[in-house]
Amino acid sequence: MMYLFVFAWLAGQAATSDAMQHMQSGLEARQQHQVDTEIAEFRKATELDPALADAFVNLGAAYMEKHDYGAAIAPLKRALDLSPDLAVAHQFLGYALLAQGYAAQAIPHLERAGAQEALGIAQIEVGQLNEAVRNFSAALAKRPDDPDLQYYLGHASGLLSKASIDTLLATHPESARAHQALAENYFVLRQMPQAEKEYLEALRLRPDLPGAHLELGQVYANSTQWPKAEAEFRAEAKFRPGSAEAAYRLGAALLQEGKSHDALVELKRANDLKPEMPETLYSLGKAAALDGDNATAERSWLKVVELEKDTALAAQSHFGLAGLYRKQGKTAQAQRQMQEFQKLQGAIGPPRSE
Amino acid sequence: MPHRFTRRKFLSFAALGAAAPIFDVKPLRGIDFILENSPTPGKFLIETMPGGVALFDYNNDGLLDIFLVNGGHITESLHVPENFDRANPRYWNRLYRQNRDGSFADVTQSAGLANAGKANYGMAVAVGDYDNDGYPDLFVTSYGKNVLYHNNGDGTFTDVTVKAGVAGGGWSVSAGFFDYNNDGNLDLFVTRYMEWDADHNKVCGGDWHTYCPPNVFPATTCLLYRNRGDGTFEDVSARAGFTAKKGRALGAAFADYDGDGFTDIFVSNDGMQQYLFHNNGDGTFNECALESGAALTSDGKGLSGMGTVFQDYDNDGRPDVIVTVLPRELYGLYHNDDGRLFTYQSLETGLGALTSGSSGWGVGLEDFDNDGWKDLFVAQSHVLDNVQQIDASLRYKELPLLALNHSGRFERADSGVTTPIAARGAAFGDINNDGYMDVVISTLGGPPVLLLNRGGNNHWLTIILRGTRSNRDGYGAQVRVNGQTRFATSAGSYVCANDKRLHFGLGAAEKATVEVLWPSGTKQSLSDVRADQFLEVREPPERP
Repeated sequence: MMYLFVFAWLAGQAATSDAMQHMQSGLEARQQHQVDTEIAEFRKATELDPALADAFVNLGAAYMEKHDYGAAIAPLKRALDLSPDLAVAHQFLGYALLAQGYAAQAIPHLERAGAQEALGIAQIEVGQLNEAVRNFSAALAKRPDDPDLQYYLGHASGLLSKASIDTLLATHPESARAHQALAENYFVLRQMPQAEKEYLEALRLRPDLPGAHLELGQVYANSTQWPKAEAEFRAEAKFRPGSAEAAYRLGAALLQEGKSHDALVELKRANDLKPEMPETLYSLGKAAALDGDNATAERSWLKVVELEKDTALAAQSHFGLAGLYRKQGKTAQAQRQMQEFQKLQGAIGPPRSE
Repeated sequence: MPHRFTRRKFLSFAALGAAAPIFDVKPLRGIDFILENSPTPGKFLIETMPGGVALFDYNNDGLLDIFLVNGGHITESLHVPENFDRANPRYWNRLYRQNRDGSFADVTQSAGLANAGKANYGMAVAVGDYDNDGYPDLFVTSYGKNVLYHNNGDGTFTDVTVKAGVAGGGWSVSAGFFDYNNDGNLDLFVTRYMEWDADHNKVCGGDWHTYCPPNVFPATTCLLYRNRGDGTFEDVSARAGFTAKKGRALGAAFADYDGDGFTDIFVSNDGMQQYLFHNNGDGTFNECALESGAALTSDGKGLSGMGTVFQDYDNDGRPDVIVTVLPRELYGLYHNDDGRLFTYQSLETGLGALTSGSSGWGVGLEDFDNDGWKDLFVAQSHVLDNVQQIDASLRYKELPLLALNHSGRFERADSGVTTPIAARGAAFGDINNDGYMDVVISTLGGPPVLLLNRGGNNHWLTIILRGTRSNRDGYGAQVRVNGQTRFATSAGSYVCANDKRLHFGLGAAEKATVEVLWPSGTKQSLSDVRADQFLEVREPPERP
């Protein structure tokens, strides 16, 4: 793409000398993918007219086409000596320097060229993580489907997160937040006893630590200790009554304990706080069905299948609706929902966890 | 004068704080059996599946005897045709006769039950008097061939498998006698797990190197044998509709869930939907679990079904189903709503919260505290012996689950077992005839564990059915005592055969009303029956 850009940029220049004839030959060689000829012609042009910045840019570009980034650096630097505002030369030089591992030197050139993706990569290399995240985010806003950008943004964000946590652990190792951070790491590693220990320490130091009760509740939920999970989710919901997630988690834990009415209250609250969340709606349907509130169950599950077409939640909602209608004697509707369930049954994984 | 708070007083107050265990863990005096499952690095799937326990009175002396199924010897180089060294006494199944003093004597060899056949790796046992001669017979399942032992009535058994035609083949697991056509002769149902042999074993789990889940192997079918009444059986699996439904069946339990007078079958399948075979009364069965609501969880998910029980937990007169499964699932409780539809009620009965972290095998609904509500007991242990390495929150060896039934809601109670075990089978019966139900558990690589009920002050009644026009054991009868119902069977649980006597807790009641609906259709009522006795109820010769 960048070579086409160079080609187009050069097309607007006038040939005024022998040097320009070699330039033209070089461009023709490029079109025929004869890189060595291209290099020879552009080199000749630079020898005939050492002040011809375009020739140096093209020579650098040809070396880059040949993946000889080391050789590209000198002509590109010379081009910028001759014409410091030449954006394309900045871009190529930035790329070449970055490819050779000179990230810090590449950064000013990439900034001048506005090459956000390469700039972000260089900034990762030199530890400018905040800036890298900012640049990848900006680039991704322009090209949201670019998998490279998606990867780099995630990578940079992860590094930024790790750096921030490392700083926290180094500077405030006994703080509540440090213990919370360690607990999160253990949770990801599925080391639940260690995660529990760290969360408990974090909460001992700061009983109202935002998010900690919710996360500790999930540790307990993961190991099916539902009464403990309920207590933690309840604590989180008390500290953050506006948190839809806390209400949802509390409702789900209550449901597991068979406390269907209390679960229904919490799941309704979660749905009010953040409507149209399929997970909340599915659990709301379950709690309602268990509590005998068939109208809410039907409404919730119908909403799920409206929001989700071919997911496990959609399959489960069809199954719930089939059971609901069967008990109400609505045989035809029950059969229809069962057929929909059977079509989607493959979306539901096997029961075994190991 | 100031009150003195003595140590004895303190202890009596302290005891009020924590309920005493229901059972004492007692050594089985005279029983030196070890369940040899022979785990190997080859991770042959059969290693983790045995073995059965039968509580039955083989010599009709009024005391329960114990039959224990052994696995066999496995080496890492096991290949077809397999040899499990069953001639070696270490790998025999064993019969222990109970003595009057509560101890047991090994009568295996004199009874003719040694050496179950070198190619048979033992799994389960079923008990039933298939020839109505008054002596309970034994059917032992295996990976390999199954064996029917006829009880000769003189303390010995004869292998009549070939004559009877019930050897089967493949990997049989649980089995049970029942009379599906109400002709007075006990028929035989056998679950089979999957298509598997040593040459087609696989190891799963990557670096964890563990047993494979069931869906790695092809599904297979269950077997139904019709008792011709002349000592032979006919394989009617195809005609009855069982060959049309492949599954991965581990457990089976019998009850007439729709009250049509014919015994139905619930089959617990591993890693898929469960099966409910409705007995059409014409020699055929119709698998109807999905449309009946007894196939899946309320989330539409399959279950890792292992053991199962088909009895009435909430005293509404209809048999309900409980299925034991692996952790991260909930033991499935299917409430029989109206004799037609079931509702998954694991959550509202409290069972979900008690079981989501455990693996269940043998299971029973028995009234352990004689309060008039059937309680739940489950033998627990994970299927994978290295599960803790894979998931630190799970354990291979577990304590059994005892959950007392409080008007239909289950709450955990102290079983008295304090050391986790690798439990598999659980058989239920009144070992010491004290009116309180006991449990015998089989453990992989270990001895059986006896949980002897500590008893209490509640009253009880135990019914011994004596069929005349119905099968002699009365299997399939529906017995109602003071508002509680039991469906007569020795099958259920996992790979085990329970005491066939029907036990009822009566709470404070000193009298009982007994109603029996026999498989023949005969109804029988007894009133003002004295509590705290073993009562034989003989089927009237003709319909009143």
